[in-house]
Amino acid sequence: MSRLMLLGNPGTKRTRYLEKGAALWGVQLCLLDWKEFPKNLLSQDSGAGPFFLKIDPPLWDSCCLEQLSGLTWEYKENLMELARQGSRGKICFFNDPKTIKALLDKRGCKRRLREMGIPVTEELEFFDWEGGKKEGPGQYPRFSDLLDAMKDQGIFQVFLKPNYGSGAAGVMALRCDPAKGQMVLYTCAAKDSETGRLVNTKRLRRFGDRQQVSDMAQLLLRQDCIAERWYPKAEHNGHSYDLRVVVQDGEVDFALARLSKGPITNLQLNNRPLKAEELGLSDSVWDRVRQICLKAAGCYPGLRSAGIDILLEKGSLRPRVIEMNGQGDLIYQDIYGENRIYQKQGKMMREWQMRRQWEDRIWKNTC
Amino acid sequence: MGKAKRYQYDYEQYEDGKGPKTMVEDILSDPEFGQVTDLTIGSWGDACGDSCQDILDGITDNKDRFAHVEKLFVGDMDYEECEVSWIMQGNYGRLWKALPGLKELTIKGSTDLILGDVEHENLESLTIICGGLGTSVFEELKRAKLPSLKKLVLYIGIENYGFDGTKDTVKAFLEESDFPNLVHLGIEDSEIQDDLAQVALESKYMSRIHTLDLANGTLTDKGGALLLEKLPQFPNIQVLDVHYHYMSDGMVKKLNQLPIQVDASEPNEAEEYHGEIWMNAMLTE
Repeated sequence: MSRLMLLGNPGTKRTRYLEKGAALWGVQLCLLDWKEFPKNLLSQDSGAGPFFLKIDPPLWDSCCLEQLSGLTWEYKENLMELARQGSRGKICFFNDPKTIKALLDKRGCKRRLREMGIPVTEELEFFDWEGGKKEGPGQYPRFSDLLDAMKDQGIFQVFLKPNYGSGAAGVMALRCDPAKGQMVLYTCAAKDSETGRLVNTKRLRRFGDRQQVSDMAQLLLRQDCIAERWYPKAEHNGHSYDLRVVVQDGEVDFALARLSKGPITNLQLNNRPLKAEELGLSDSVWDRVRQICLKAAGCYPGLRSAGIDILLEKGSLRPRVIEMNGQGDLIYQDIYGENRIYQKQGKMMREWQMRRQWEDRIWKNTC
Repeated sequence: MGKAKRYQYDYEQYEDGKGPKTMVEDILSDPEFGQVTDLTIGSWGDACGDSCQDILDGITDNKDRFAHVEKLFVGDMDYEECEVSWIMQGNYGRLWKALPGLKELTIKGSTDLILGDVEHENLESLTIICGGLGTSVFEELKRAKLPSLKKLVLYIGIENYGFDGTKDTVKAFLEESDFPNLVHLGIEDSEIQDDLAQVALESKYMSRIHTLDLANGTLTDKGGALLLEKLPQFPNIQVLDVHYHYMSDGMVKKLNQLPIQVDASEPNEAEEYHGEIWMNAMLTE
């Protein structure tokens, strides 16, 4: 029997609901625990033929942003190790680890999408991160560099985000009024009173004092981060929202609106989710969203399942890709409903298994 | 039956040169505008940098073409577009005479807001949504001649965002103003909401209105107890709106038992930080 494996975490919702979705197609998954990686991967019987592998993200329990940055670095190394193992022809990846890694890099992902003519939330150029790093550690932009760039480019509200980060971790929404010298910053990050480091919380705070805004933003600027234009988002019943669209094998399998009373929309912040069809958007808006999502997913051929965050501009409802995620398939509203996303993945695994069996039969008959 | 329509500019339009100077021209060139009786003006581009004065002037200069407008909202923007306290408002002094058919006016933002000599025969509803209402606006409203006004909602806000008065400012306003047909009084969004509940309960309007609106502020059990004690003296009160508050579940339960319609939704919990208790009005945090 051709083997189907999940590199993940036992007992999590991702694992349980994928197992359920796979079971519907008569598919049984073998779980490789991230805690035992890479030993468990290397110990796979090399004579048993190639196996199918889905990579779920490892579990992290730190809320310190600097530590999260270190964990991301370690994760990227693990993804490269997986890619090396895959290059020996033993593994058929569900989502290619190199692609998962590429999508962790928000700046790189945006660049690629932009090159392909896909509208994205535009970035503000304010620091040559790669050049800056070459000059050695400690080369980071100052908050004043960011303000100067905002003024020069006539952009008065931006999101500051760690380039390698997920969810709302560390995200800051910054708005400035250069004429009056006013500024305001919204974030879920907080400064730990003991370590002075940024930690992630689940509460959105607003800072209006110039010095506080500067201190908070400067802490984030010490990490590799991007500043992207803060476009006013579409609203529904007094809440602003963005969309998480899950594209799998060239089809939109799920779309969810993430409604918020604050500028940072992320479901981890207890924002309100809503099935996207309940937004009452017109067919033409949906067509545009669908086209952009399919085109974006198509930019990464190694990606069979992608979670794509889409912003609809307030008023025009013009869609833009905020970011893409090679592991953005866990949607509570889906798993507690039809479990459509993981059922589709079960089907994809079953198809792979059948193809393998058919190829084996042909091979044996030929021999 | 008239239509409701919202006019606003997004980023790209702003970058293409749209702004308060072009808004009225764009509204008038809309073939549907002749049917629009409910007119909402959202972001005019850089609402933090540019005042809406050109829009207000454009409306008064073209008053005949805006004569069919019955409802007007100037500055309908949320936190995605501009901080409410940064919205640059304007002088409404000429608008009152220019739009005699206006029934409802909603203004969002109080920076540079001037109402001027407020005199209007037909205005039935006036709402000012802001992070802090200046005493100059209270003074203008004190002198206002609005014989048809049925609904008045004022967001009081906080000092940092423009409220430079005290509870006595609101008290004096309620004492000295004269809105003979007022039935809905809203004194909202204050961090001294308990005090303002008392001020409202002691005002002359209490015997006339059917709706008391003390929503979106830091109303605690102190204000709740006052409402429980005083409201039964006013059988004319049919609706109490205290949504977004800091009252306990027990107090909410008691208020809900009053024989009137009560909205006590959106409870909040005060936070303690370094021994101090922090509460925020809805539009101030």
